[in-house]
This record gives sequence, C-alpha cells and structure tokens, in this order.
Amino acid sequence: MMFQHLFSPLKLGSVEVKNRISFQPHLTNLAVKNLPSERQMYYWGERAKGGAGLIITEELTVHPTDMAYEKLIDVYHAEVVPGFRKVTDYVHQFDAKIFAQLNHNGQQGDGSISRLPVWAPSPIPDVLFRETPKEMEHEDIEEVARYFALSAVHVREGGFDGIELQFGHSSLARQFLSPLTNFRSDEYGGSLENRMRAPLKFISAVRKAVGADFPVGIRMCADEMIPGGLDLAQVQEICARFEASGLIDFMDLSIATFYNLYLVEGSMHTPLGYTIPLAAGVRERLKLPVFCTGRINDPVMAEKVLAGGQADMIGMCRALICDPFLPKKAQEGRLEDIRYCIACNQGCIGRIGMNKSLGCVQNPAIGREKEWGEGTLERAAVKKKVTVVGGGPAGMWAAKMAGRRGHDVTLYDRNETLGGQVRTAMKGTGRDEFGVIIRNEKEQVDKAGVRVKLGAEVTAGQVLADKPEVVIVATGSVPKEHPVGGADGPSVYNVWQVLDGKPELGQKVCLIDYDGHHRATATAEFLADQGKTVHMITSSLFIGAELGPTQDLYLTRQRLLQKGTTFTPDIAVMEIGGETGAKTVKGFNVYSNVWEEWGPFDSIVLAMGQRVEEALYKELKGKVKELYRIGDSVAPRKVDMAIWEGHRVGREI
Amino acid sequence: MSNSKLNILVLLREVCDPRTPVRLMEKGAGIRDKEVRRIPNPADLGALEQALGFRDAGSAQVTVVAVGPKRLDDSLRLALSMGADRVIRIWDGGLKGGDAVAEARVLSRAIEILKPDLFFCGNRLLDRGSDPAPAVAAAARGIPYVTAALSLARFEGGLEILRKGDKGARLKVATSIPCAVFFEDGLRDPRYPSQDALMRSVEGKVESWGLPELGLPFWELGGTGALLQEAEYGLPRPNPLRVTTPDANLPAYERILALLSGGIKAREGKMHTGSVEDVADGLFRIIKAEGLLPETQG
Repeated sequence: MMFQHLFSPLKLGSVEVKNRISFQPHLTNLAVKNLPSERQMYYWGERAKGGAGLIITEELTVHPTDMAYEKLIDVYHAEVVPGFRKVTDYVHQFDAKIFAQLNHNGQQGDGSISRLPVWAPSPIPDVLFRETPKEMEHEDIEEVARYFALSAVHVREGGFDGIELQFGHSSLARQFLSPLTNFRSDEYGGSLENRMRAPLKFISAVRKAVGADFPVGIRMCADEMIPGGLDLAQVQEICARFEASGLIDFMDLSIATFYNLYLVEGSMHTPLGYTIPLAAGVRERLKLPVFCTGRINDPVMAEKVLAGGQADMIGMCRALICDPFLPKKAQEGRLEDIRYCIACNQGCIGRIGMNKSLGCVQNPAIGREKEWGEGTLERAAVKKKVTVVGGGPAGMWAAKMAGRRGHDVTLYDRNETLGGQVRTAMKGTGRDEFGVIIRNEKEQVDKAGVRVKLGAEVTAGQVLADKPEVVIVATGSVPKEHPVGGADGPSVYNVWQVLDGKPELGQKVCLIDYDGHHRATATAEFLADQGKTVHMITSSLFIGAELGPTQDLYLTRQRLLQKGTTFTPDIAVMEIGGETGAKTVKGFNVYSNVWEEWGPFDSIVLAMGQRVEEALYKELKGKVKELYRIGDSVAPRKVDMAIWEGHRVGREI
Repeated sequence: MSNSKLNILVLLREVCDPRTPVRLMEKGAGIRDKEVRRIPNPADLGALEQALGFRDAGSAQVTVVAVGPKRLDDSLRLALSMGADRVIRIWDGGLKGGDAVAEARVLSRAIEILKPDLFFCGNRLLDRGSDPAPAVAAAARGIPYVTAALSLARFEGGLEILRKGDKGARLKVATSIPCAVFFEDGLRDPRYPSQDALMRSVEGKVESWGLPELGLPFWELGGTGALLQEAEYGLPRPNPLRVTTPDANLPAYERILALLSGGIKAREGKMHTGSVEDVADGLFRIIKAEGLLPETQG
C-alpha cells in the first residue's frame, strides 16, 4: 500500500477510527430551522462513503446567547436527537465514525440574531463583530457549563461516537485562555491556572455527562498569531495541562483568530500544510493523539506528516469538500483521479461568510449529494451525438458529464490545450494553483470517452456538417473592447492581454479596477513583480473589494503595498486620454462628484469587465435540434458558474 | 581443570538491520520480509570473538549454534571462517511463532546435549533489546548466568567476571563452571576472516538439527508451546523534530514562514546590474571567490 500510515487505524479514547483522515468541522449553512437536515445527512454521509475515517460535524451551538450564524444547530434542544439519529445511522453504514463539535462563540458573534447580549470573559468586543459583550458573571459560567453537559447528553443520545469541544479560533473557551480577551481579576482571570478554570469546567461537565467511555477531545488554537496573544509555547503548556486533567482523549488543532482570519482558513496565498509545524510542536509535549489541519490537500503530504511524527490524524476539510472520494482514491492508488482543492475559498468560505449555503467551485454536487452525489449519474436513455464547442471549465464539465452518461461527445477548442480563460487567469501572481482546475478535469474528460479536438476554430457550418443532435456552446467571454472613452487609444490594454504577455508595457502603469477580484489585483502584482510602478484606480471603497469573503484581501493588499503599488478608490473613470508615454485618466469621485485627472502614465491596463462570445450560438440558433449555451458565453461570471452550468447540462441532455 | 580445553558454546542470533525502514504486512500480521536486511546480532559476534580468544590461546574448543531457517547458514559459515570448530543450525517448521519460553526449551536442550563448560552470547539484541531466552535456558539447566559481562578471567575451578553494576559502577562476580555469560556489545571487534578461511567455510559442514535430533515433543515448541501469542504488529509513534516558537512580534505571515522553515533563513540573493560585460565580470569574480575555478595563470 502506498499510504501505510494514512490508512492505519487510530484509537481516540474508546473508539477506533479506521484511518487517519478526519473530515474537519466547518459551517455548512445547511441546517433547517436550527435542526439537523437531510441535506447535512447526505453531505456528511458522502464524505464517509468517500473513505474518511472520521467525520466531525460543524459547530453546534450549546447556549441561546451564542447565535453567531443564522443557520447553526441548537444542540441544547432535545429536538435535535431524532435528526441526529438519522445522520449518525447514515454515516455509520460506511464504517466511519462521527463526532459532534460543541461550541459557544463567546464575543465572536453578535446578538442581532439571538436578540440577546453576547457573553464573554471581559467586555472586549471582537474585531470582526465589534459588539461589546456582557462580562460573564459566575452564574453565567456555571450555566454555560451546564448547557455544555446538556448538549453532550443530546449528542450521545443522537448516536454520535464522540465529542469535540471547540476551544479554537472562534470560541468562548479560548477567550478565557487568551490574555487578549480575558482581563478578569477573579478566579477566572490572571494566572494561567485561573484562565484555564472555565474551560476545564466545561470539559469536566461534559465528561461527567457522557461518562468515561465516550471519546471527548478539544480543538485548541495552536497559536493566535498576534502579539500579546497565545503563542505556541503557551499553548504547549495549556495542552499539557489539559492532558494532565485526564478528561480528554484527543487534541485537535486550529490556528489564529478573527484578528487574522486569513490564517484560520488559509487561501491559495498561504503555503500548503502551513500549520504542520504547530501540530508537531504541540505533539512534542503530549501523549494524546494530535490532529493537524490546514491546506493538507494531498495524501502524499498527509502520509509524510504522519510518518514524520508531526501529527497522528490528518484533518482535511476543503480537500474533502472538493473531492469527497479523495481517501478512497488514495487507498486504491488512483492519484490521477483526485480532484485537488485549490483553496480559492470562493464556495466554501466566501459563500458561508455571506450566509449562503456551502459551495465549491470545483464540486457542483456539494450540498446536493442526494440528487447529484456519487452513484446518482444515470446512463442516457438515448445515445446522442453531442458537440461541445469551447474547452474551458464549462465545456470540459459538459463534455465529461455527457461522456460519462454514454453520449458520443466531441469537444472542440481553438487553443492547443484545454482550460480556456483559466489558463490566462493562472498567470496572475499567486494564482498558479488556479490552473489545477484544468489538471483535475483534463484526464477525466479523456476517461469519459470524449473526443477532444484541439486547435480547431469551428464555424457554424462545420458544426452542422457533423449533424450533431446536441450542440453545447461554451465559447466563453473576452474583455470588453471599449468599456470607457479612449479605451481604443494607444497603450491601453486589458488584463488578459497583459497576463498573456503580449504587449510591451512602459514603466509607469495605471490599472483601472472595476473588477475588485484577482483579475485586477493579481495582474497589478504581476506588473509590480516586473519592476513596474503600478497605480490602481477603483470605483469601490478599496482595492480588492471582492477579496474579503475569500480571505484573500489581507495578503493581497499586504504584498501590493510592499511592492509599492498605490491606490485611489471611489473614482468613476470616464475618459482615458493622452499619447503613449503621457497617458491620462479622467474621472470623478463618486461621493464628492469632484472631477480629477491622473497621469502621466506610460500604459493603461483595464480590468473593466467582459463581454460574451456568442456569435456561434446565434448562428446555430434554430438550426440544431438541441442547442445549449453555458458559462461565460451566456453572461460573463466566475468559474463556479461555468462549472455549475457545464455539470448541469451534461447531466440533463 | 585449567589444563583441559574448555568447551564453549556460542549462540548466534539474527536481527533486522535497523538502518533500513521496517514495513508491516497487511493488518499488522508481521514484518514484511521484502526489503528487510538481516544481519548476525553484533553482540553475539562479539561473544564469539571472546570465545575465539580462548581458542587462539589453545585453551578452548568453540561450537556455534543458531536457531532458525536455512538463511542462517550464512551466519554460521561466517562463524566457521572466523575460526569456530563446529557449527549447528537448529530448525523445524514447528519452531515458528515461539515465545522466549519456547525458544528457551530448544536452547536448554542444546545445552543438555552439547554439555558446554561455557555458554556465550550477546547481552542484548540490536533490534529488540533484551532476549530472555538464553537466561531462561541457563536457569532451566541449573547453571549460573552473568549478564552485562565486560571481561572474564579464568582461575582454578571457575571464572571471575567483571560486569556492569548499578549506576555505571563495575561489579566483580565469581562463578563456577559450567556457566552462561552474556556479553555487552562493542567490547571486541569481531575478527575479519581471511579470504582463504571464507572460501574454506563455503565447503565447511553446517550440522542441521531438527526435532528428532533434539528429541523434544512438538507441543512444547514454537507457537503451540508458547505461553504468549503474537497479536498484531504496529509502528511506534515517531517523535517529531523540535519546534521553536517564533518571535511573537513578527507579522503573522512571517511567523508562519519561520515555522515552516524550521527557523532556517535562506541566504539572500545578490543582484548584479549593469552591462553584459559587467555582469559577466561580476559572475566570474563570485565563482572565483567561491573557489570554483582551478588556479590558472593569467
């Protein structure tokens, strides 16, 4: 076997988990009426089916004062038990264990949903939610401990195999432990012993409620990563003391807090496996099994971590959101079939942050496993001759899905390789992993029996000459030719031209950012890396306005500033003028309505939107039995929609 | 007694070379034979060297015994080439899966048959550490045994042995003959046999004993005779490298990088700008300064 450590069993207290892969807790927004839902059952079940040894649910809220997110499950209500029974029964049939995570978010939430004040050790507002909490009185602490215990009973009755207590990046317990949030002068604050008193109370209440034979572990924040907060050395000591209490069975880890949320859920801009040394550091001091999570999206890396003794359990979260069957594929040695997570964070973190249901750019079936999960794809009743034009993500998915269903599929692309706009986007600085999307699908397209014809610019006539029954147009989009006055003048380029390295740009560049996303910022950085002086003008309040939800904003802006890029926000750009070497940008402030002019610049780069490539579609309309248009050729959007529509049409034809 | 020749029996055991990684069979059924390198236990070879010391002085005759399958003949031929007088390999399919007690029964019987004055082997095994079988065998025969021996001297009617005592102290013990002595590793380097001796050993006789030669009932041996049964093999939890906490005042991202690099800082690159000639000149100077160019004239 290739991964002998990864697929060796591990004991967590009284429970043996069949392998070292844990599907880690994360919000799904799939609960209905604050109760476990059918969608969650299939969602967690799919990961169990895919071979993960352990599933840990999303945080379940233990007390009414904690309603940080609207769609949390209120585990302190006994009503949750029947739903959880269904969930755990479903998961157990795949020989996986399922633990429940219990949490109180403390001040890392607000009272807008619960209509109650939030509780915390000290009246220090969280940096993200900015609501001053109520300083907990002694009876409040006792009450939370009691609710933890009550919730634990519901968990056990719900058929779970164990409990994880969230003491990590977002939790009341960590707020008690951390000198940044605990300024109490009573027996719950001050010395480490005092700061540990409330968390230990929660643990012992839970242990008492579930008995000695039920696995209980905690998820600790391995390092708060902020001056004055808990660092690894302090956490090592805390963990050792928790272990010494004899009340817990395992130590799961997370990193950072809301001060640096971009590290809690590291994006493509953070290194793979960026938390591994912290897990190794904690494990140095403990006998208990230690978990490690954080961009370990690859079984090879996971095996190395285990073999090197840096952790005992590999937490995979986004890796299994993207490909629930990663464990099974790894075990069978089918590494080429694994769909690797690229940490684009658009569906999983971006959507959750905006209170939408969980998504994944590369996995349209997410949250719809009942309808679209493994084993739901049926062979087409009638084999059709299908032509797909355009080999970007939309076209690749449509061809792959149609091919898998037994259709006779031909995929045309005018370029020499598949990938469409992804091939250009991945050239932006820090975006190279985006290209993994192509790697993930290319082989699957071949395996689905699709005939791929590259370097083939097809006309409507050629398409019709093949007499296809179905034509799917996925011709994508191109940057708008004339988004603003003067855009047709000399030395004005769009981001795609720049990333493809075609034009020779001058030293001083102005980039107009109406995109707010990587298209603009990664191009600006791409230019800054070439030693150019880049100035960015945007109509938004700030550069990178779309990068907040995906946790890309912080590091993107940090690097842009380090590389000398300057920003002007709030500007509606109306006119680009001047000659090469003395280009100017004219516009007005959208708030003050005052006009201004910037320049001179050597070159101007526009990130001002795309337009559809629909000529082929229009020509074919009315001439083919079944004609579909998907992805950017319908309306230019992001890659998630391209894949979504490709997947859907491939299933439906 | 001092004039008569001592009859020394040396036990040679094989161990896994710890330098190659161990891989387990499916479900921990055992250790995979493939890729495993087996070597004679170094401490046993050291014990053999002690015995051969007596033989060189003309005061001993040395018999080497090994318990195990055919592949152990190689180790025994090595013993022959080093100078052993007689080598015996004991094996039978029924000996498989035995614990220390079952193995001790075999050794005890061998001692009973061969009646050695001295029974030597290494104090510890290179891979598994202590092996109680030789001591149990000696006890079963009612002869004294001395562990952690460092040196021995013969005197009228017995031996005086220097052994390791508590907390690094040395302890002298006296014992009568026959007795068993288990030597610490590394006291004497096993001799390197000559090419001629090696060639002779290829033709030399390795006696092979089975259950009939031992005259032991099968139910006392191997897996059936063992008091302990093997359940499952696993690998121990490895210890990671030590991790140091980075400076808390560094920006978070730099702390992550410091953690990932293990505190090692990459050497900064140097930029040389200028004309092509200047850059080439600069490169040449660096290469020369690094001593990468042979010294030449001009």
